[in-house]
Amino acid sequence: MFFLQASPGMMGSSNVLIFGTLGMFIMAITLVSVVVFHQRRVIKFNKQLQRMEEEKQQMLLKASINSQEEERQRIAADLHDDAGPLLATARLYLSENLIHQEPAVQLQSIFSAKQIIDDSIQLIRNISHSLMPPTLKNFGLESAIKDLFEKINGSGVINATARFHDNRERLSEEQELLIFRVLQELVTNIIKHSGAEFIHLTQNVQENLSYFRIHHDGKGILQDDFERLNYDSIGLGLKNIESRIKVLNGKIYFDIDSTETYYKVTIEIPRAQRKN
Amino acid sequence: MFFLLFKKNNKEKTVRVIFFYILYCILNEALGYYLQGEHLKKPFIFFLALFTVFEFSFFCLFFYYAISIAVIKKVVLFTWLGFIIFSFIDFFYINKMGALDSVSIGIESILIIIMCIYFLFIQIRGSNNLFVYSTSNFWIVISFLIYLSGTFFLYIMADKMFYNETYRVQYNIINSAFNIIKNILLSVAMLMKPALVNNHNKRY
Repeated sequence: MFFLQASPGMMGSSNVLIFGTLGMFIMAITLVSVVVFHQRRVIKFNKQLQRMEEEKQQMLLKASINSQEEERQRIAADLHDDAGPLLATARLYLSENLIHQEPAVQLQSIFSAKQIIDDSIQLIRNISHSLMPPTLKNFGLESAIKDLFEKINGSGVINATARFHDNRERLSEEQELLIFRVLQELVTNIIKHSGAEFIHLTQNVQENLSYFRIHHDGKGILQDDFERLNYDSIGLGLKNIESRIKVLNGKIYFDIDSTETYYKVTIEIPRAQRKN
Repeated sequence: MFFLLFKKNNKEKTVRVIFFYILYCILNEALGYYLQGEHLKKPFIFFLALFTVFEFSFFCLFFYYAISIAVIKKVVLFTWLGFIIFSFIDFFYINKMGALDSVSIGIESILIIIMCIYFLFIQIRGSNNLFVYSTSNFWIVISFLIYLSGTFFLYIMADKMFYNETYRVQYNIINSAFNIIKNILLSVAMLMKPALVNNHNKRY
């Protein structure tokens, strides 16, 4: 009512006052609302991202545990199915009855037992080498990779080559083993799934980063496929690669060259010096 | 009162600054009421001008504590100093204590609104997952933003029309309405528990 009681001279000022006040008030309310709603949306989005990241971590952890379990089962199977029967046979040859046998039979039994024990030693060595390649431990990543590639070349199906441009300083033991496992898994995947005829690995160093790049001429995957497969329940090997790269604080990129002929996998790892 | 009741829970510096601001507001209201009743025009205008300066100082202090960027803190400090000097010149030399300090109030409102918008902008850019309305600083900022936006035109027109009866009535209604809104929002700010993650601005 008071606003309507203004005199004619006052009307203009009154209108300015009322509409100005109202306008400013609406502007302030709009501003606050925009901030609140925008922030709510951002938080919702962040939470969604966080949830996805947690899910991914869970899957990686699960993959890592599964991989460990598979490895254990394989070792258990090797020991139980191969080493177990071999040692049991050797025990048979060396039973108490042996002393009642002819010396020639005794000699033959001892020789057979020795042969079986030698086989067992070789078998256990093979199991041990599959866990930690001795070449890697003694001579480093370059030798281990070249060793692996020689075995692949031996099949005559794929031509695998490796070139290390800067390998003067060895990486830490842990890094070398993890990188070796990642490269081994990548190469295995290429052999199994891509139908490639050649694989070429290069290594170089820039500043404090080591780069490993694998080229191959098969049907590879791109970064999007890698991300998608990482969220999939299948693809245990890729999840292991991802978790190992995470442990190394590194990055992995899957792409194709500009001519769309060769697929590339690039691994970027911060270097950690070997402790003497 | 709310603040005193919840004093143990709320130890944020910004809230304490606003608490003293509210105390000052109450004191000023009482004094203003007394001076108006006694028809003491010059002291009344002087106290209104003083209120502008103190209000701006309190808000600058609040903003100084609420923002953690060193550069902005310096800017606030210099703005505050500049405003004090300007208010002094405006009141004693330009206005000559003759009317309400509309220019100072207008500038004060614009500066505070800018600071409020900047604060809200920082909240948008902040990356933590704390809801903006779960902090007392947000409620303090919006109380000032709404109060000063609402009374902006009222005060800039006050020096010419303050002794017009109709305007006085409009002044009382608008001023009281926005004062009530401001006080409600400040009460909400006082009742807020300190934020668990209060690192909005640390990355800036």
